[in-house]
Amino acid sequence: MRQLEQIFRTAGVTGWLHAVDIDTGREVGLGADEPVVLASVFKVPLLVAFYRQAERGLIDPAERVTVSPEGRAGGGTGVSAMLDEVTASLRDLAYLMISVSDNASADTLLARVGLDEVNAALADLGLSHTWVEHSCADLFTAMREDARAADMAELSQMTTDPAVLSRLRVLDPARTSRGTCRDMTRLLGMIWRDEAAGSASCAAVRRLMGLQVWPHRLASGFPYDDVAVSGKTGTLPTIRNEVGVIEYPDGGRYAIAVFTRSIGTAQNQPRADAVIGTAARVAVDHLRAPFMGTGPI
Amino acid sequence: MDLVRHLRYFVVIAEELHFGNAAARLGMAQPPLSQRVKRLEDELGVRLFDRTSRQVRLTDAGRLLLPEARDLVARAERIRELMARTVRGDTASLRAAVPPDLGASVLAALIARFRAGHPDVRLTPAEMGTSDQVDALLGGELDLGVLRHPVAASGLGFGPILVQHPGVLLREEDELAGLATVHLADLAGRELVLPPRALEPGLHDETLAGCRRYGFVPAEVRHAVHGQFTIGLVLAGSAVAFGRSADVPGVAWRPLAGSPLVWRTSTAWRGEPSEHVAGFADLTTRVLREDAGMSDEGASPRTWVAPRPATGFLS
Repeated sequence: MRQLEQIFRTAGVTGWLHAVDIDTGREVGLGADEPVVLASVFKVPLLVAFYRQAERGLIDPAERVTVSPEGRAGGGTGVSAMLDEVTASLRDLAYLMISVSDNASADTLLARVGLDEVNAALADLGLSHTWVEHSCADLFTAMREDARAADMAELSQMTTDPAVLSRLRVLDPARTSRGTCRDMTRLLGMIWRDEAAGSASCAAVRRLMGLQVWPHRLASGFPYDDVAVSGKTGTLPTIRNEVGVIEYPDGGRYAIAVFTRSIGTAQNQPRADAVIGTAARVAVDHLRAPFMGTGPI
Repeated sequence: MDLVRHLRYFVVIAEELHFGNAAARLGMAQPPLSQRVKRLEDELGVRLFDRTSRQVRLTDAGRLLLPEARDLVARAERIRELMARTVRGDTASLRAAVPPDLGASVLAALIARFRAGHPDVRLTPAEMGTSDQVDALLGGELDLGVLRHPVAASGLGFGPILVQHPGVLLREEDELAGLATVHLADLAGRELVLPPRALEPGLHDETLAGCRRYGFVPAEVRHAVHGQFTIGLVLAGSAVAFGRSADVPGVAWRPLAGSPLVWRTSTAWRGEPSEHVAGFADLTTRVLREDAGMSDEGASPRTWVAPRPATGFLS
């Protein structure tokens, strides 16, 4: 059995992975071209589209906007979790959207950028397997409808029930924001090589991804002071993802996308979180090992 | 035009993003494939692919079409399969699967009661673990399953979820057999027999998690598919197992104090169940309740989910 598959299986998940050396193109993957549910990973293409529009003068990243508490997308972090009206610049909302996956900030940005524009940017970058289907608020509405939950509080108590999960459209790549591991590592490669947008914009995107706070997924596989980990997580019931870039002190840099779906339905999935780091580490070690071929591990 | 056939061509090209490879996969030449795509584009009034000399890309319209086209092509295949079965005269057949450890008497009761109620329907029973059942149900090779939760699969419908609180099977000479009930923590240091993870991933993981939570970390986990093998390992004195009382000399069964373990079972099918499938699902649920000691009681043991920011939706 292939090593990566075994690692995912042992953690009780189905896993998809693609890792590529940003500078040499050397790669390794598992189901790298299969469609996967992006969940919050969609915030990375949104961020790239945001800065591309800023470059065209359509958006001023420093413009201050006020986000009112009414109708804000829910969530446990950032503006989503705040009680009062918030005024901040668009780029600081972008910071919250990436660093703590703030949904209210993401929807504010998405309303400015436009869903069509995000998809146009993806198409323009040649990421033909990636598609953003809905805003955070619309995704939650779809979940509530499918689960037949009155509100978010009820919904969050229902999603450990397999019968409810089997009805959720947002867990089906065909019916929600989707991508492939390979598309995600291509996007990251373009961001890190200053090709996804102008160099200042790419630097801004890299900075935000480096400010992400979560230590439990990709970062857990690289517990070294001299290794930089930048990333963006994605989380929905049974789904745990992270895409990011690992940078070693010798200059080696690797784009990696890990998407998982757990068999268990518990909301807490520490093994699924950890296996993202473990699998990423195995993949990066493989890419860094001299005299070895590419392809499946 | 034959829309379904053209959509099938479209799906294959969209997967390959290469006309030559797609034509090879379809077993046809490239020029007629290109013509058919052109015809489909004319019919729908949109361009589906951007073609440059070096690469083929889906247009926005193509991307929108892809999941719909996949769905329609799959449905058309199912219609053909269904009609082919009609021609063969076996429409009134029902393919059902149960877990290997369900127990002979339960299975016999299930088949006998189904036959009594539906003498005209041919029942094809199979023995299958949960993961294989999920694959077979989604692949259209199975009409009804009886599986163990949790399963995470999109597109399946489930009957009422029934609950079973397994007790522990011990060798009669085991000192714990002298107790009326056994605490999970009392089992510390013993080996445990479970169904293989590949067969029952959800039950395997939840049972082990439950054991650890209540202080039983098995010295070793042994895997057994069938009841007889499990009993053999217990009789040999090397391991304990969980389940229903087994009427075997030399094996003692004791309830677990506080019912810490919960096994959940339900019927399952794909999409909308047919009349036969729905009928058999109801019957199965009744048999599981009456003959297999499962109950609805607290059937949706919806444990409280304490919100944590790092595991919230879209975090």
